[in-house]
Amino acid sequence: MVKGQLRIALAGNANVGKSVIFNQLTGLNQIVGNWPGKTVERAEGTLFFEDHKIRIIDLPGIYSLSTFSMEEIVSRDYVAVEKPDVIINVVDASALERNLYFTLQLLELEAPIIVDLNQVDFAAKKGLRIDVEKLSEALGVPVVPTVAISGSGINEMLSTVIAVTSGEKKLEPLKVRYGKETEERVEALEKLVYEKLPQICSVYNARWIAVKLLERDLDVSGKLKNFENGKDVLGYAEKLAAELEKIHGEPSPVVMASERYGLANRIAMEVTIVEAPPRISLEQKLDAVTTHKILGYPILVAIVASMFALIFVGGNFLSAGLEFVFEKLIFYVEGVLSSFLPDIATELVSKGVLDGVVAGITIALPYIVPFYIILALLEDSGYLPRAAFLMDNLMHKIGLHGKAFIPLMLGYGCSVPACIGCRIMETERERFLAGFVVILIPCAARTVIILGLVGRFVGLPAALALYAFDLVLVFVLGRIAFKALPGEPVGLIMEMPAYKKPSIRNIMMKTWSRTKDFIYIALPIIVAGSVTIEALSLSGFINYVVEAATPLISGWLGLPAATSIPLIFGILRKELALILLQNALGQQGMVIQDLTSIQMIVFSLVTMIYIPCIATIATCVREFGWRKALATTIVDIALAFILGGLAYRLLSLVMIT
Amino acid sequence: MRGRRRRLRKKSNPRNLENVVSLTCLCDGEMAVIAYTVGGFGLVRRLAEMGLTPGVKVKVIRKGLLHGPFEIEVRGVALALGYGVASRVFVRPLRADSDG
Repeated sequence: MVKGQLRIALAGNANVGKSVIFNQLTGLNQIVGNWPGKTVERAEGTLFFEDHKIRIIDLPGIYSLSTFSMEEIVSRDYVAVEKPDVIINVVDASALERNLYFTLQLLELEAPIIVDLNQVDFAAKKGLRIDVEKLSEALGVPVVPTVAISGSGINEMLSTVIAVTSGEKKLEPLKVRYGKETEERVEALEKLVYEKLPQICSVYNARWIAVKLLERDLDVSGKLKNFENGKDVLGYAEKLAAELEKIHGEPSPVVMASERYGLANRIAMEVTIVEAPPRISLEQKLDAVTTHKILGYPILVAIVASMFALIFVGGNFLSAGLEFVFEKLIFYVEGVLSSFLPDIATELVSKGVLDGVVAGITIALPYIVPFYIILALLEDSGYLPRAAFLMDNLMHKIGLHGKAFIPLMLGYGCSVPACIGCRIMETERERFLAGFVVILIPCAARTVIILGLVGRFVGLPAALALYAFDLVLVFVLGRIAFKALPGEPVGLIMEMPAYKKPSIRNIMMKTWSRTKDFIYIALPIIVAGSVTIEALSLSGFINYVVEAATPLISGWLGLPAATSIPLIFGILRKELALILLQNALGQQGMVIQDLTSIQMIVFSLVTMIYIPCIATIATCVREFGWRKALATTIVDIALAFILGGLAYRLLSLVMIT
Repeated sequence: MRGRRRRLRKKSNPRNLENVVSLTCLCDGEMAVIAYTVGGFGLVRRLAEMGLTPGVKVKVIRKGLLHGPFEIEVRGVALALGYGVASRVFVRPLRADSDG
């Protein structure tokens, strides 16, 4: 009974509850991938509503449709070129002026929009009420108030979507006009574009092209360069933009932004009714304390520390339980398998495939999932941007800004989602720099080694010292990379959303999407690695490897020769290094306790930094390109062995005397 | 590029440069009106798009420790600006009595 398929896009600023609306609309029925050729997340979902199949694309949350970042180009091209049937513009009712700036740009693109006036409850808390009718009249498009978290208004919005696409409701969108000097130039340029570049006008509207050219938009002027008459138009646009700058004494994009904001401000003032003076709410008090220039730091430390304590204590417990269950399970499966498979195949399946899956699960379930739940809680409540604010100063020392603190925290879970999380940085340089540092953060798997080896046999202070050393290393290396990489650092410009009660549903969705990165990218590689290891050891090839690595491992690092096995295979599966260590030593008739404290520390240190695991390398290749991925890998290996050797020598001096 | 733009601004509104200070000179709670921003093309434009356009009122909510970031309120939104960014935003303070 499906009448037709509709394509709608969700567009809006960041922090307006767009992803909550997307989740409300599509539920779990969504595909998250990348935009073709770009490392920008593309989320798509389908839903059925009143005989219609609706495909929804969630465009990245952005502030404007100029080409500052890849996200903006992606969104703009989608709206202009793919021309979805309707665009739902999610607008934060509590910050109408700022949000209308984006709405006006959508109107300039002549996109068919419906305004979703979200967070009306939050605006009411601030003492603001928006006259929906008036706003709808001013913009010439339907406006539907919603409260995304509770889902109220979502059905009305979908009905409006249907009414608009069926032609039942007509849009008479506001025509965005500028002040006299600007408007004259826009119109003159529009005429020229229309005459000289009919090819472009079949996709984009001429007025929009004219506006963007006057704003010196690099993406649009780049598009024109390929056309025969493009140069003439660009020359004329440059002349007009220069005139505009002379009149106003400001760069032309500032002139245009000012005018657009002027209009947004007029509309917002007209439709906003201030019902009560804003009171100092609990949220504001919380904000004042948690971002306080002194008090904020102990709070940050306390939050982060209790988060880790909770995860690792709880994680250890859960992990042990899971291992116990799986051990029994594997034993049983092995029995079944060996009844019809040859011994070698049974070994390969049980030690390779099953062990790989189990190792993945015993890391993911007890450590990674709880970690992401807590992190999403901090993120959705609004604490994470405050942490970023507090950390901005320190992050600048390594050439990054406060926002990099977020992927850095993610790194304590698994490096794969953390590398992907580096996308929140603005430029390619910053993304790579953040990625480089993030890889050095000990992920859950490495933490298991540090705590399981050094923490257990040498003592907790030694394990914590290793952590502290790692943070110093991150700082020093980040600083070196920052100095070595060409380009200017970008300053922090970040919105500070108000504290909010987080939605459980949204937290679960976020946790799932991050854990999914681990399951889809890391887990298959872990299993493949596990099979490879098993195959190599069954074939006896491993002995050659050990022999070849002996000078480095024993001579330089002072470790037993057998430890080269866990070190080499740690590349494939870091979390397995501890078990492999046990096995490798066992074959020599040794147990872990036979290692000296120094050897344990050196081993942990090397595994902590020597190479990102293969799943992380794969992610780096995808995010930063293979050159940078390779360079990072080589730097990390070299560093680990240099530091490991030095640590061996230094510790021998200190600990014996 | 940058030099040209600066010259241009001075030529067109010489009077308006009076009382203009960097945003970093303000204290917590002080209000000001944006005069202009300086910096690369990208930064100036991005700030304008975040609502920091000439003539708009801003309020310093708080300053971070040492040369830490600034949190300001502009157009009903709280924005965090790194110190480097804040030092490129020039404003006319609305209350001159509380400079310390």
